[in-house]
Amino acid sequence: MVDPQKLRDEELVALCQQGKGEYFEVLVRRYMEKAFHIAANFTRDTETAKDLSQDAFLRAYSNIRQFDGRSSFYTWFYRIVVNLCLDHARRSGRVVWESLDALSESPGEHHQLADTTFQPDQEAIAGEAKRRANKTLEAMPKKQRTAFLLRNHQGLTIADIAKVMKTTEGTVRVYLHRAVAALRQSLVEFV
Amino acid sequence: MKSVVPLEGACKSFEEDLVLFYYGESADADRRRVEQHLPSCAACRRFVDDLRRLLPDMAKSEELPQSFWDAYYRDTLAKLAEQDRQKYWWRDLFAPLKVWAVPAFGTMAVVVLAIGLVLGRGDSKRVTEGSSEAIPQAILSDANQLEFFESMDMLEALSKLEEQDELKADPTTNHSSKLTSLAVNA
Repeated sequence: MVDPQKLRDEELVALCQQGKGEYFEVLVRRYMEKAFHIAANFTRDTETAKDLSQDAFLRAYSNIRQFDGRSSFYTWFYRIVVNLCLDHARRSGRVVWESLDALSESPGEHHQLADTTFQPDQEAIAGEAKRRANKTLEAMPKKQRTAFLLRNHQGLTIADIAKVMKTTEGTVRVYLHRAVAALRQSLVEFV
Repeated sequence: MKSVVPLEGACKSFEEDLVLFYYGESADADRRRVEQHLPSCAACRRFVDDLRRLLPDMAKSEELPQSFWDAYYRDTLAKLAEQDRQKYWWRDLFAPLKVWAVPAFGTMAVVVLAIGLVLGRGDSKRVTEGSSEAIPQAILSDANQLEFFESMDMLEALSKLEEQDELKADPTTNHSSKLTSLAVNA
């Protein structure tokens, strides 16, 4: 008997399509961390990320018969996760990010960081840089942000991102370049 | 503390290639072009260095304990099971009947068929009786006439049979007598 953990995604999907739904558990185990992290990148909230990524598994499972194998399972699944995250952001109005920024940023803070007599520790600088980066990401067009998060945070190749986003590789390169350029510009004080 | 100095931009014709170079996504020809350009361009070198310094930190995610993932996995499987249960609720309905479902339904079908046949026969009698009472008089008289004509047809058929029998018994006589009668008529 073959260990289900050793089966490839496509083999597991085929078994699920034959009605052996128990094999989907292996796919859950295999992709739960990635699914959760990308949802967390988008939402910046653990509970929401957990709900959205679990919802992605439910949708993938209920639509598994529609998966035709033209793309890999993980690009198909990433697309479900990303769409859920973007849909959630649209509905929620990105309140979470706004509130995080409001808590951490005061008008005089940037001036303090620019002042050479002020000696905040490296951790505070890193924290501030991260908040600024998040704010910049938040303000980005969603396609740029998606391309950036999938490449930088999830390590997907440009070819796979193009499949997830259903666009061309050239377009993904443009999105990625614009996102990176915007981030670098916003973090000018911290580099 | 790092100094806060406004950044120079990279060369415009190289910026996109530098991003792809950083991510290891350049085509061979582009990568070689970048590698040749970098030693001679401080602004582009700075650009790539900034990406190396900034972007990996952004990708760092919060370390979550194993207990979180165990709970996550359990919750997901529970949600999947619940989704299945809602989708195939009718399976639960028939679940207790699984062992004896076939003989039970078979017996039930036979009983229903037998009852139907017994009651159906009684009903048909009642329908016939009831219907004769309800038929209007005019139609009944027509029906009587129909019976009369039917009996007439039968009598006619009987007489024809008798004629045929006679012909078989004495074909010559009858034939000649018929001819005689024809000649008389003519």
